Amino acid sequence: MTGARLDLPQGTLDLLILKALSLQPMHGWGISERIQLVSRETLQIPQGSLYPALHRLERKGWVKAHWGTSENNRRARFYELTGAGRRQLERETEEWRRLTGAVRLVLEMS
Amino acid sequence: MLTELWSQVRYRARALFRRAEMDRELDAELRDHLERETEKYEREGLPPDEAHRRARRAFGRVSHAKETARAARGTTLVDGVARDLRYAVRSWWSRPVFALGVIVILALGIGATSGIFSLVDGILLRPLPYPHSERLVQLKQAYPEIGLDSWALSNQNVAMYRDRVRGWQAFAGFHHGGATLMRDDGRPRRLGVERVTGDFFRVLGVPPLLGRTIGRSDDTPDPARVAVLSYGLWKSEFGGRRSVVGSSIVLDGRTTRVVGVMPEGFDFPRPWAQAYLPLGLDPTRRFGWFITGVGRLAPDATLGEVRRSSRLAMWHWATTMPGLFHGVKPETTRMTTLVTPLRDVLVGDVRRPLEVLQAAVVLILLIAVVNIALLLSNRAAGRAREMALRRALGASGGRVARQLLTESLALALAGGVLGTGLAYLLVHLVVHSPAVSLPRLGDVGVSWRVLGFTLVVSAGAGVAFGLAPAIGLLRGRASASLAGAERGAGGAAGRRFDGALVGVQIALAAVLLIAAGLMLQSFRNLMGTPLGFEPRGATAIALPLPASVYAGHDSLVVRATSEIVDRVRAVPGVSTAAISWNLPLGGRYNTDGFQVEGRPPPAGTRVETQTVQLGVGPGYFRTLGIPLLYGRSFDDRDEAGSVPVTVVDQALASRYWRGAEALGHRIRLTGDTTTWFTIVGVAGSVRDESASVPPRPHAYFAFAQAPSAQPMLTVRTAGKRGTVIAAVRRAVRVVEPAVPVDDVRPLSDWVGSSLDTQRITEVLLLAFALLAALLASVGIYGVMSLYVTDRYREFGVRLAIGAQPRGLLRMVLGQGMGLAVVGVAVGVAGALVATRWLRSILYEVSAADPVVYAVLAGGLLGVAALSVYLPARRAAHSDPLEALRAE
Repeated sequence: MTGARLDLPQGTLDLLILKALSLQPMHGWGISERIQLVSRETLQIPQGSLYPALHRLERKGWVKAHWGTSENNRRARFYELTGAGRRQLERETEEWRRLTGAVRLVLEMS
Repeated sequence: MLTELWSQVRYRARALFRRAEMDRELDAELRDHLERETEKYEREGLPPDEAHRRARRAFGRVSHAKETARAARGTTLVDGVARDLRYAVRSWWSRPVFALGVIVILALGIGATSGIFSLVDGILLRPLPYPHSERLVQLKQAYPEIGLDSWALSNQNVAMYRDRVRGWQAFAGFHHGGATLMRDDGRPRRLGVERVTGDFFRVLGVPPLLGRTIGRSDDTPDPARVAVLSYGLWKSEFGGRRSVVGSSIVLDGRTTRVVGVMPEGFDFPRPWAQAYLPLGLDPTRRFGWFITGVGRLAPDATLGEVRRSSRLAMWHWATTMPGLFHGVKPETTRMTTLVTPLRDVLVGDVRRPLEVLQAAVVLILLIAVVNIALLLSNRAAGRAREMALRRALGASGGRVARQLLTESLALALAGGVLGTGLAYLLVHLVVHSPAVSLPRLGDVGVSWRVLGFTLVVSAGAGVAFGLAPAIGLLRGRASASLAGAERGAGGAAGRRFDGALVGVQIALAAVLLIAAGLMLQSFRNLMGTPLGFEPRGATAIALPLPASVYAGHDSLVVRATSEIVDRVRAVPGVSTAAISWNLPLGGRYNTDGFQVEGRPPPAGTRVETQTVQLGVGPGYFRTLGIPLLYGRSFDDRDEAGSVPVTVVDQALASRYWRGAEALGHRIRLTGDTTTWFTIVGVAGSVRDESASVPPRPHAYFAFAQAPSAQPMLTVRTAGKRGTVIAAVRRAVRVVEPAVPVDDVRPLSDWVGSSLDTQRITEVLLLAFALLAALLASVGIYGVMSLYVTDRYREFGVRLAIGAQPRGLLRMVLGQGMGLAVVGVAVGVAGALVATRWLRSILYEVSAADPVVYAVLAGGLLGVAALSVYLPARRAAHSDPLEALRAE
């Protein structure tokens, strides 16, 4: 089987998910919508890859999930950021800024 | 932080154990996502099926999402292994005989090895339960020139070695004995006691549980009457009451104060020591050698130093005993001290047998491993196609290897569990068998180290041999196997390897069988050795007369014992009865030098030969079944005041006289040079140490002229033993109610227990040898079966074009027997070398006994022939059509 490849740099999806969840707990589709909404123009994310990422984050303890009721009384699995997840988001955001800053610097110099 | 950790643990546990639930959740979650996405497109105005299609496209492959989501849980390896395991169990389930065979072989290998190694570990390797027990030694003396290969110490000796030997931290002496405890209700109980000198407990380094131990202050010729109880006696007789310390008990008719109790598990020098009394060391007592020395080396002292120093002390002492040594120069003799590490003393007799068993189980394990290698590699060969197919369908090499590994491990695990059970069973049987009296058995258990080691070895072997063929499979042969007729993975080279393995197995089995055969022959020789007396039908009863009444009153002793004997003889069912100091194989001997009148010791040596001396009452020879060759036995004429008489045995008489010439000559003993004993009879020789020790010279004395207050009564019964013994008890009680009749044993028990170690070694070794032969024949059968299966088509075709079945039979038989003959030849050669090591425990069997070798080699070849014959017959009956159809 060939894996569906992300058009995102490795690890960026995690960052986006954490960012999306930092505002409020959401279910999977909500996260997907949110990311698509913000980045529809530039990022192509196969929605299917969202779930493995969510499970990975859950295993790492950065998000936790519970079943809840969404609008019009439908059951959905809600994800919410944990304390560790919040710290991880800060760390990754900072790293991302430094990385993009450094890349920009290199590109502008040459 | 902690709660996070906890939630992670919960997540993992859930991922592992609630997999189905999580899968359902994932399904629901993905379905929900797709529904919402579809609704979104519907809201945008698309028709439902178009909306659904768009949603699916945006999502990507659902199955992939699920797969990766599961993988993200981080448990795929475990899941995979579980799947493999299920597959492995299913696959073995479909070939139960094969799987069971492997499991049983492994279990036997693991069980036998772990069991025996646990015994070895518990008995030989484990330190004694005393602090720094490696510094504990036993001290005895030896003067081989006069037949004293092991010579106990006198009072004077103990004091001398204690004071003059450099290198002790402490030194003490002890000797076994008995004492009669009179209970409050008037019933006596015989106790096994140890009489010890002051530093005994300091040597061992064990403090008392309660009160104090025997100390230096008790080292006087007339010590205070005190006793230290063993834990067992304290519990059984005194209910474990602490108040017993300081209280008085009646021991041997005298009031004795209990001063201490030893802790549980303290059982030196023998497990049935029930109380410790002061020996009453009297350094001025120069005669009477009955004490064993035990010492603790100082931290900086060596065994060699103590040996040298104690030998010098002994030599010096010899010069102070001119009466004993007649001016012998000790330096010119082999007179020496025997300083032996205490552990070697305790396990000395069983060390070699245990080592032999240990070697045997290592061979068994080897054979088992080789066998499993053969079975698994043959099986892998048979599955070459399956594996090739899996590869072709896209399974990675690692995946296939993992499958094979899991299958081997599943078998190893099952075998390991069963083998562990077997090890426990074996140890349990040996430890609890009434027929076994090994030292230090009390707390032998299955050792986890040993069990772990064998498990690892067997599992490792299973894994290695399960994987080896896989590597061959993965390397290129896959396509060939898939394409064509070749079924054996290894082809000719593989068969040669298998053949070599079979040869090795047969050789190992031959070594074991021959060793077991030699042991068996040796044991039969021992059992067949005439002891010189007849233990069957005779019962030995200890009659400890109370010392408070009888000590120093020989006439009382004689009167009481002869009355008891008379009453016992009158009991219906008793054919004869007699009194004596002790009995053959009883382990207590008095020896002394003797001199024949008119025959000075051989010139130059000036030493007197030792003889066992034994006081026996009238009827002793008849009761024991010892033949009287010449002259007469003792009778009522031989009283305290009459002419001192003796009956010597053949072993003594034949040194000086022929036949009846001995009668009328006189001998005297070193211990009493004034009394000459007239020889009135010559009796047959007896082996009274053990069946394997040649008879020593004996001089018997009339019990009435040399009484003992602690005699043995031997009763030969014609009727039912139980009722007769009860009647004997009553008779004894009438004459002397204070005598405890506790120690009643058939004389044959004494004989039996002296052969225990040989018997258990022999039984186990025989079992292992049969196991080895069985495994080896399974091995050769397996290999020849595979060989026939491989060439089944060829045989069929041969038959079709006119080959004779008989010819095929002969060919296959020839192939298999070729292996067997080479294996047996190598095994016999190996046995010739290996059994040298058995020599010291073989009795009157040469380690190269040709009969044993021939019989067992022939037997093994016969078994091999049978194992080869079955596949050979199949070859001879190959059906060409069936063979072709099998393609």
